[in-house]
Amino acid sequence: MTANDPFSLAGKRILVTGASSGIGHQTAISCASQGATLIITGRNAERLAHTAGLLAGDGHVSVVADLTQAQDISALAAQAGSIDGVVHAAGISKLVPLRMVKQAHLEEMFAHNTYAPILLTKELLAKRLIRPHGSIVFISAVASHIGPLASSGYSASKAALLGAMRSLGLEVAKQGIRANCLAPGYVRTPMLDGLSAGGVDTEEYAKLAPLGMGEPQDVALAAVFYLSDASRWITRNYFTIDGGLTVPMDVFA
Amino acid sequence: MTQAAHDPFSLQGKTVLVTGASSGLGRQIAISCARRGARIIATGRDRQRLQGTFDLLEGSGHQQIEANLTDAQDRTALVQATPRIDGLVHCAGRQMLSPIRQLQESLMTEMYAIHFLAPVMLTQQLLITNKLAPAASIIFMLSTSAHIGTRGVGPYSAMKSGLLGIIRCLAVEQARHRMRVNGISPSVVPTPMWGDAGQNEQLQAQEARHPLGLGKPEDVANAAIYLLSNASRWVTGTSLVMDGGVVL
Repeated sequence: MTANDPFSLAGKRILVTGASSGIGHQTAISCASQGATLIITGRNAERLAHTAGLLAGDGHVSVVADLTQAQDISALAAQAGSIDGVVHAAGISKLVPLRMVKQAHLEEMFAHNTYAPILLTKELLAKRLIRPHGSIVFISAVASHIGPLASSGYSASKAALLGAMRSLGLEVAKQGIRANCLAPGYVRTPMLDGLSAGGVDTEEYAKLAPLGMGEPQDVALAAVFYLSDASRWITRNYFTIDGGLTVPMDVFA
Repeated sequence: MTQAAHDPFSLQGKTVLVTGASSGLGRQIAISCARRGARIIATGRDRQRLQGTFDLLEGSGHQQIEANLTDAQDRTALVQATPRIDGLVHCAGRQMLSPIRQLQESLMTEMYAIHFLAPVMLTQQLLITNKLAPAASIIFMLSTSAHIGTRGVGPYSAMKSGLLGIIRCLAVEQARHRMRVNGISPSVVPTPMWGDAGQNEQLQAQEARHPLGLGKPEDVANAAIYLLSNASRWVTGTSLVMDGGVVL
């Protein structure tokens, strides 16, 4: 393809959170191989450095940050500078049945999965760091609509992104900036491995999806599409990438 | 891309059948997919306009097959003339408006023949003749009217909603061949189907209510490229809504 390739990210600066692991890790790698300059962030310095070592091209920036901390968010925004896109891939999950839920659990889920991406976006917008025609991508989860067992805190924190994204999308449309959610099903990531360590048979979950378990690459390439100019007319969209998991369910009805 | 071989959005080596390729979205999808490396089988009713699309296809090995897809014999002939394909994009369509209260059976029957029966039975024939390769991607062109209510759009809306049912069931049926079935649901994209854009009050009103304005055929073609390429190998049973933010 030529320099006019609408799927290219050449010349774009992209911020990826949660880049030390799983979907964020692969998103950073895929964005770099499509030509983007990356600002990657994560909590674990060692694993973030590992991701940084796998990025094609040069000029990438790594920032160790805990996005539940206000000062880390502002430090990250300051180091990121002007960007053309952000992928909020940082997230956590813990299985707790509702009758055992404590407020601290809900606060932890929402702090990482909901408040951090919203407050980081707020900081980027307030400092006018997202360029016109930029793209904001939230990583939600089909859990928002399915509500698997013992996932009320997690599912609620992911579902909340839908409303936030729709409202944000209207606010930033004037600058041609877009906001969308990607909603993956069960993807082979360290987060999912963590759940299986907790006694969940994730291989059984994978069998529920007609196309089986997904790979981080499947979500990463959707993120590339949503960041690229190829999707310039798509905003306020909630896009399911789940190998067909929700197709036999009436969760969207 | 400098390394075409590593481009996850490449259609190199894929053969894609595009219906309604003589005009509008189908025409742009054929052109854009060819530019991305696909070999195109273009079909449409109007020989001259089909030739017009054909002349704009980059690369080689493309085929054009004239067919009226509401005619069962034409569908059979098209399937016979079609080689093994990796992608199928159903774009043929025509808008006809009628409030339900004034609905004529002839109009409803025609909408059913064009928008539902033709794409569904063409897909059926391609499946039964094993013309769809394993891991093929099937795309039905829907519309946001598959998901929303709009005055006067009932017949069209109903047929596009009907295709949602086909998309879901076919996605489940064909998953064992790793085949994928999805819809694209664009809101307003000025094409010949909408009439002359310049003096079209309806289009101007629509533009005002879309936060990002109206779409271009190229936008829909890029979505088709994503859904046809290996980049979307785990995406099935969905419809990709593209609406410039106006939202369902």
